Amino acid sequence: MISVIAYGLTLGGILYIISIGFSFTFGTMKIVNYAHALIFTIGGYILYATLPRIGFYPAAVLAATLGVIPIAFIIERFVIRNLYGESVDLTIIATYAVFLIGLDVLKWIWGSNPLQMSDPINKTFTFLGTELPVYRMAVIVIALALAILIEIFLQRSMAGKIVIAGLEDKETVRGLGISVQRYFTMVFIIGSALAALGGVLYAPITVVEPYMGFQILMLSFAVVIVGGLGNWRGTFVAAFFLGMVMSVTGRWWGPASEVAVFAILAVSLLIHPIDI
Amino acid sequence: MGAAVCNWCKRLEMPIIVFAYLALIPLLSVNMASEIIIFSIYALSYNLLYGFMGRLSVGPMLFLGAGVYGAAMCCVYLTANPIACIAAGIVCGALLGMLLGPVTVRAAGAAFALVNMAFNQVGFFMIQTGLAGWTGGSDGKSLYFDPIGPLDFNKPNHVFGLALVCLLAAFFLMRRLTESPFGIIIKTIKENERRGNFLGYNIYGTKLLVYVITAAVSAFAGALYAIMFGYVTPSFISPARNIEVIFATLIGGRGNIYGSLLGGAIFILISSYLPNIIQRWELFFGLILLASVFWFSKGIPGIMDLFGPKKQDVNASAKGGLR
Amino acid sequence: MLLEVEHLDVFYGKAQAVHSAAIGVKPGEMAFLVGRNGAGKTTIMRAISGFTRAGADSRIHFNGVDIANHRPEEIARSGLRYVFQDKRVITKLTVRENIHLAAYPFHVSPKAAVAKICDIYPRIEKFLNIKAGGLSGGQRQLLLIGRALIGNPKLLLIDEPTEGLAAGIIEDVFKVLSQLKGDVSMLIVEQNLDLVRRLADRIYAMKEGRIMMELDNSADSRSGSNLEQFL
Repeated sequence: MISVIAYGLTLGGILYIISIGFSFTFGTMKIVNYAHALIFTIGGYILYATLPRIGFYPAAVLAATLGVIPIAFIIERFVIRNLYGESVDLTIIATYAVFLIGLDVLKWIWGSNPLQMSDPINKTFTFLGTELPVYRMAVIVIALALAILIEIFLQRSMAGKIVIAGLEDKETVRGLGISVQRYFTMVFIIGSALAALGGVLYAPITVVEPYMGFQILMLSFAVVIVGGLGNWRGTFVAAFFLGMVMSVTGRWWGPASEVAVFAILAVSLLIHPIDI
Repeated sequence: MGAAVCNWCKRLEMPIIVFAYLALIPLLSVNMASEIIIFSIYALSYNLLYGFMGRLSVGPMLFLGAGVYGAAMCCVYLTANPIACIAAGIVCGALLGMLLGPVTVRAAGAAFALVNMAFNQVGFFMIQTGLAGWTGGSDGKSLYFDPIGPLDFNKPNHVFGLALVCLLAAFFLMRRLTESPFGIIIKTIKENERRGNFLGYNIYGTKLLVYVITAAVSAFAGALYAIMFGYVTPSFISPARNIEVIFATLIGGRGNIYGSLLGGAIFILISSYLPNIIQRWELFFGLILLASVFWFSKGIPGIMDLFGPKKQDVNASAKGGLR
Repeated sequence: MLLEVEHLDVFYGKAQAVHSAAIGVKPGEMAFLVGRNGAGKTTIMRAISGFTRAGADSRIHFNGVDIANHRPEEIARSGLRYVFQDKRVITKLTVRENIHLAAYPFHVSPKAAVAKICDIYPRIEKFLNIKAGGLSGGQRQLLLIGRALIGNPKLLLIDEPTEGLAAGIIEDVFKVLSQLKGDVSMLIVEQNLDLVRRLADRIYAMKEGRIMMELDNSADSRSGSNLEQFL
């Protein structure tokens, strides 16, 4: 029981870290960014490539998280930014195309075989008689710390307030003379870095392979919709809720975990349909 | 394009399509021609949903897969009669469409696209793991179809003939649908759903019907795939392959039934031959997609327009506010 | 002329919403735009402020500079501010934060900005720390007008400032507007003809995307007996 809850929280933490950037891009620019899945995967690969050379896990994590920033910048500058005003189907297809291109480049460099990584901490501790890996607990702590940092950024800084305002009403913010686009770009880059961090943290729990982002993206989409469009606190709650759902149903019957998540997504769409 | 064709062209249309596909046999191979034809049926069904009604789904493989597995399961567990298997595939697709449609068609835009993808993912998981006892999981199943009289669908030529007849049926069904009053409602939904409601059309019913027709015809193509390949694997329902039919529809031209035939052929040719020429063909494929979004979103017919008389770009003015 | 609009066409897809409109506002002047719903008033306001694309031959000059199809944030920073219809405050931020947001691009100190709005509308002081979503319609409108004045704009475009407000509140809005008259030029979309007659220096009447009538003489405008036909 304890281990099921712990695994649910770990999954929730990873889902949160990945989804928050997706949520902001969806909320601010109304773009479903498939390339987000690519950034996530690249994070995992950079960790795989740098860890043996650096040898120090936190440094490799940092390298992977920061390493995707130029890639995110290029994607934003040359694809995402040119999609404003395009119909939603074309934005999906364009970011999907970026995902495909990146996927192939990854296969080019590392091949398509899954790459195994070991638990970087490789220690367990006993909590109420259950043995739990320290690494998974570390993931939960990182997710909570990030949620607090994001809250502080949004509530305390001028840039954060502009983002809150932009999520609610982009036109009004522009009408005040603020180039809201610049802030959206900034949020996009931060969100991408966090996606990479998610990939980095997820890699030791699963395997690194080119399509690892694909399935995660759909879970992430479920988190964003269930949490409410443009609602960063809702994203937090939904991530942990769905993580827990996956853990509990997965314990009962493996394939049920995904089915349960998408069933919740369907119900959520029925209750409050989104129209983008 | 379709409406402008004069009467005698329309009468010649069927022989022209038949000859065009027959001409593919010596150029490529019978199997490749059959694959193009079956994929074009799938593209036709998807064009109704995306091209005509403007609803991008990122999960059409679910319905193709429903057809493939419907036919395959019928073949393995019920009867190896190919016609019965095709019927089983279509029924599976249509039922799945009726089950999911009431949920999905309430959504539009990104939500519609992704909720379909989510269901596709669920379907893939069910086939691969959940129901692996019946479906054979990742290994899939081999299929042997009984001959019906002189027709033996283990022979490529017979499959080609069957596929071509089915394509013609699907093609003329789509034409009838899109040129009928029903087609006008579909077009209204694409342009402005609210106006459709205002005009008193049953918008919800229309959307649901289009969704179910798309599901059934996709499943039809899927059932034909099962017969053609003689085996099934979860790759026939894999969400990773959703981009294929989207690509074909975009390249061929959205909302153009000839476009589905053109786009379907182009996709199969690219995916079959390009890997022999360039190793990184997916990269190339992605680049074509990007180019088609940014420079020729009307597909190949749109490129042809570039050489024709210039039209005023009315869309530019509508987009302006979002710069 | 502070604002000079000529040949303004606006298209929505294939439909033309505004046909060759001409509008002028002189420095210090208070101009009104009247017409029925759907006549194209808001479309004109949005085209001037850069939110909706103006047709290729349109000429929009503000303060001697061509601003047609410039970015809305650039137009706002150049001193032309648009107050949207429907009283769009940022509901998730406090009133104070709403004001800070407006001060930010003009490098006005947040304190000075708050003081300026309290000067125009003293009662707002009590609400500074509540979320703007909790304000009433009239309070929102006065906050929006006050907020648009930060950075000393030369021209305010105000869209339906009294729409949906109670009679007493309309009077409050009227007082603020008449207090501002002369200091800043305004172009206001308004359906309340009583208010229009009391304040207008110039009136444009619209019908079906066209400017049908211009009254630029204030005596004329006050009598304005034939304005009703446009409502």
